[in-house]
Amino acid sequence: MAPSPTESPPSLRREARDLLLVAAGAVPGALLRWRLEDVGKGLEGVPTGLIEADLVANLLGTFLIGVIVGRHPPRPRLLLLGGIGFCGSLTTFSSWMLEISLALRRGRPDEALAVVLVSLLGGLAVVTLGLAVGRRLGRSRLRR
Amino acid sequence: MAAPLDNGALFVAIGAVPGAWLRFRVVNHFEPMLPRKHWGTFGVNLIACFAIGLLVSLEGSCGLAAGRTLLLLATGFLGSFSTFSTWIAELHATLQHHQRREAVLLCGGSVLGGLLAVTAGLAIGGS
Repeated sequence: MAPSPTESPPSLRREARDLLLVAAGAVPGALLRWRLEDVGKGLEGVPTGLIEADLVANLLGTFLIGVIVGRHPPRPRLLLLGGIGFCGSLTTFSSWMLEISLALRRGRPDEALAVVLVSLLGGLAVVTLGLAVGRRLGRSRLRR
Repeated sequence: MAAPLDNGALFVAIGAVPGAWLRFRVVNHFEPMLPRKHWGTFGVNLIACFAIGLLVSLEGSCGLAAGRTLLLLATGFLGSFSTFSTWIAELHATLQHHQRREAVLLCGGSVLGGLLAVTAGLAIGGS
């Protein structure tokens, strides 16, 4: 059965809407991460500052995705805009690994290990906190 | 007041949109094929690690039009393509469901695999 012309536009429109929501979140997320990197450079003037700045963006985004995912009932549009778009772009894995690799090349395995552990344990801690906040927000909304 | 937009911001923003779209589509595409969604994120992150190593070393050895290319491709595109927040959220979910083996694989595999991918990228790019 050929798809009737009245059926295909809504799914296309939904597809376009999803991509638009992701893009609308991605732009401010990436810009904020970039700004935070600059703040780090201004403060330290050394790569360590950059590492710390990435850490701030990563932990902030991880906390926020916890809040979004913790909401109940789930909010699909908020997940696309805030979760996949904003938090996904605000946080980065590639720069984190690059900084760790560069620390190892500088002969600073201690620094590399510290960056791994602080990001990992900090990330797990803030996502737990975020999920708790998200659940609480969901409950207070239900009570109203 | 065009100051915040006239410099690198436009490059970062232009790189960020396709980066986020590609991550969204790749992760959604692999969702039904792989037993767990988090291996899609894992793959995306590893590809981004290889690419950023390659990009940084090419910039160092061939002097790619430094600043703005890196803003567009590294900070914008790869920064948005790869993600830390989703990875941690998925890692947290595996721990929550007591899938200890899966959590160790996801965590260790991402960190060691990511480092290996960056190193490979740096080496191929000649640094």
